[in-house]
Amino acid sequence: MTEIVSIATRPGRSATSEMVRRLPEFLMIWVPLLLSAAHLISFSIWTIWISFTPSTLIPVSGWVGLHNYNSVLASRNWQIAFDNLLLFGIAFVLLSLTTGLLLAILLDQRIRGENVLRTIFLYPLAVSFVVTGTVWSWLLNPGIGIEKLAHDLGWTSFHFDWLVNRDMAIWTIVIAAIWQSSGFAMALFLAGLRSVDSDIIKAAQIDGAGPIRTYWRVILPTLWPITVTVIVVQLQFAISAFDLVRALTNGGPGIATQLPALVVYDLMFQRSQLGRGAAAAVLMLLILLAVLLPYAAWRYVRQRRAAHA
Amino acid sequence: MRDRSFAPSRALIYLIVTLFAAAYLAPLVVVVLNSLRTNEEIAQSSMIGWPQHWAFGNYAMAWSGFCVAETCAGIRPYMLNSALITIPATIFSTLLGAVAGYAVSLWRFRGDNWIYGIVTLGLFLPQQMRLLPWTIVLRDIGLINTLSGLVLIHTIQGLSFTVLFCRNYYVAIPHELIRAARIDGAGFFRIFWRIILPLSAPILIVTVIWQFTHIWNEFLYGVTFTTGQQQPVTAALIALSTPVADIPKQGVQSAAVIIAALPTLLIYLFGGRYFVRGLTAGAVK
Amino acid sequence: MPITTTRRRLLAGSAAALALPAFARAEGAVKPRLTAISQWSAGSDGAAITALGKKFEEKGGIWQHSPVPGFTTDMMNKLRAQIIAGDPPACSQLKGPEIAAWSKIAPTVDLDAVVAAAGYEKVVAPDLAKLHKPAGKWIALPLQIYSTNMLFLSKRGMDKAKADKVPVTWADFNELAEKMKSAGMAYPIANGGTRADDGQKFEASLAGISPTAYRAACMNLDKKALEGPEMKAAFAQTRKISDWCDPNVGVQPYATNLKRFVDGDMGMLIMGGWAQGVLKNAGFKFDDYVITPGPSDNSKPVFLLNADAFIFWQRKEADLQAGQMLMAQLVMDPAIQTMYSQITGSIPVRTDVDLTGEGWSDGQRTTAAALKNAMGNNQAVLSLAHNMAQENGLTAAIIDVITEYVKNKTIKPDEAVSRLAEAVEGAR
Repeated sequence: MTEIVSIATRPGRSATSEMVRRLPEFLMIWVPLLLSAAHLISFSIWTIWISFTPSTLIPVSGWVGLHNYNSVLASRNWQIAFDNLLLFGIAFVLLSLTTGLLLAILLDQRIRGENVLRTIFLYPLAVSFVVTGTVWSWLLNPGIGIEKLAHDLGWTSFHFDWLVNRDMAIWTIVIAAIWQSSGFAMALFLAGLRSVDSDIIKAAQIDGAGPIRTYWRVILPTLWPITVTVIVVQLQFAISAFDLVRALTNGGPGIATQLPALVVYDLMFQRSQLGRGAAAAVLMLLILLAVLLPYAAWRYVRQRRAAHA
Repeated sequence: MRDRSFAPSRALIYLIVTLFAAAYLAPLVVVVLNSLRTNEEIAQSSMIGWPQHWAFGNYAMAWSGFCVAETCAGIRPYMLNSALITIPATIFSTLLGAVAGYAVSLWRFRGDNWIYGIVTLGLFLPQQMRLLPWTIVLRDIGLINTLSGLVLIHTIQGLSFTVLFCRNYYVAIPHELIRAARIDGAGFFRIFWRIILPLSAPILIVTVIWQFTHIWNEFLYGVTFTTGQQQPVTAALIALSTPVADIPKQGVQSAAVIIAALPTLLIYLFGGRYFVRGLTAGAVK
Repeated sequence: MPITTTRRRLLAGSAAALALPAFARAEGAVKPRLTAISQWSAGSDGAAITALGKKFEEKGGIWQHSPVPGFTTDMMNKLRAQIIAGDPPACSQLKGPEIAAWSKIAPTVDLDAVVAAAGYEKVVAPDLAKLHKPAGKWIALPLQIYSTNMLFLSKRGMDKAKADKVPVTWADFNELAEKMKSAGMAYPIANGGTRADDGQKFEASLAGISPTAYRAACMNLDKKALEGPEMKAAFAQTRKISDWCDPNVGVQPYATNLKRFVDGDMGMLIMGGWAQGVLKNAGFKFDDYVITPGPSDNSKPVFLLNADAFIFWQRKEADLQAGQMLMAQLVMDPAIQTMYSQITGSIPVRTDVDLTGEGWSDGQRTTAAALKNAMGNNQAVLSLAHNMAQENGLTAAIIDVITEYVKNKTIKPDEAVSRLAEAVEGAR
């Protein structure tokens, strides 16, 4: 391929040979991008179509109007899943954001063993969701995990039964999810801290600002763009959290930790109500859009401003 | 960058960092310890405990002993399957993503923003939703129950991530560099090969790590689009972990979890430093 | 002599099969081959299907089993993908009303001839047979039977409570549980907390209170029965059971508690016979526990039928067709059913297999006797919790209500009854 491009463009070459010359790059750029875009668009349209059909075990054609949407919205499972998504999404994003930021700031203090510590905070990313869910279900189960350990060690008043407590169980998912993904937030923030212009910091120090004030006033504001990236990535994680929940609580105790992704999978494949599952998936996409559109708008405004600056 | 006088109490910093590190390590320690305890010992006490009798046999059992129905070959053959899916899919999605990211960021063409936006939206499309459409696509192109089919799926789906990160990285490369090369007569691939690729190490490491771990740990497609002998390692792990008609075998299960996670853990162990460096180098715009 | 009957039947069966017209005769020409999908990958399930595969190979067949580990849903995803791809397995695991539902999306094999040749129909419980011939023709074959409401009594637990009377009615059961509790057992009942576990607690309660009400409400979804007084009583009994269970079990399966059960820290377990296979695999002895039919207020055993089955999908390949016929014969063969059930702890589908011999446990004998007794009294009903009574969608909607009720003790039985009726309406 290099040989072909090494023939540089010279004025006077025919249009055809120009096209032939550029064919490989067109293929390399367009084929993957178009395949990717085409699968996303066609799969989404397909799902929207299925959500209006009476499909059960396999996709069938037909038209049932909004019936599937109505029954999903009326179901207790969906209502609980939606409330949980709000709680889980907000709590998880905020907590993993603050955990990641705190860890990044701490690691940025030129401490010894930074490499080791960074690896420790990052390694959960290497673990599969299923394993994370399984292992945390061991640790958090009061009968066999941390509570049992405390009791065996003599601390018999110790009580930690969130996993089997239907009001608190959603928080166990938050804990496991933070354990798994806050390393990513840390890495992004650390990257951001490392690229802060040291002149600004020096200037602040010369002005007599203490460390906390310097962070608060000077360094953190420069991290805004990264924060937004972290929020979006973590939100995506929260909305699609599936394997983790399935392995950790499987939606229980009862149906207390249902989440939309779980409901979609359940309806589509376990309950053989493909049409309703598709409707739930479309509702989930709408939730996503509600998050992503403001982000896209924010990016657009920022780019416009950067272009004018 | 920050000098020592900046932090008031070094001891407090070390204390907090150590506590966090302990919390992050706890699950790993528990799994490692359990991998060295017998199933009976775990069943009779709890999930957290120091091995009474070192059960190194768990590893032999996990590696090549336990049965998934009639196949009693442990986790080994499944590891190979996962490698056969993960390695090509990681390479393809990274390379294609790099080229596409380079084209979108530095060449600018009509509709580039649109297609870039759509492709990155793929990050947010839940994969349960894509299962049935993929079934139909694989059927129509005759790749169902082949590892190639899975490689194709993971390559295409992986592009969402690789294009996003590569594009964000390449955007930071000065346009003058490209302009100068073009004036010298270099074409699309020559610039990519000679100028862009040598600069890309940090971001390629980020995407390789990300893709490798995600594909390695995938379960849903892995069991739906393969038959028995081709299943990925996650299927073997599940066979050990949800025994409806069995007593829990947490010792062997822990050993299998450790073995199955080794490739990805090693990647983070050796690549972790480059991961942050790669992100620092501009992927966070 | 039961053994000789068995052999004669087997011989007759194979002779008849060889005499079958059409594709069955292909057996001579090609080596029978079978592609099969199931979720049975571990424990006694895995051991049993492996043994069945060996038998298939002994008969000269090629056994190509593809286990899909994990939840049943994952297995069904695989099956669905194969069907959509136009490449269904020669046979696959499927049970209950799902057989009828799935048979509508892809052509199945008409097994009437081979079933007739084996004289199978008259030795299968009628309710069960109906599920496997949804449009009047046999398309699937049950493999083994469990009752989901067998009562396991820990011998050490009984000793601890100084109890020797096996409970017959729910009143007896409740009394025994209280006795065990006052003997120092914090949690007298060893059940788990999965969705199916919670469903079992409820179905055992309702069927034990009134099999007629169970049939009307859970099998026929009769609106009046769904709101009837028995439902309320069943929810109340379910609450009692769950109060006696260890809340720490969370959503873990009952197997987590087996050791505590055998040790006598927990006295009772309401579970299917499969627990026996699990106990056996875990190294516990039959003497460690007693199995008896679940509590029944009219004192006659109520049997909550749960049967695993294979459905046979139409294939054009001669070797697969031959493999299907061979598999069908094997599955109906009393000797094979004996082997299978002895591994898993179930009882044979055939009611004419003799269970007096070695290799059968008292628990299995009790279960088989309970089935016969229950069938005689019209008290053999289909299990809801194990997807035998309704299609998966409806079952799941009902279990949603039950599991929420079990885990949330502020929900009153009255409220649970109305929620359940609503859930049934919503899922239809």
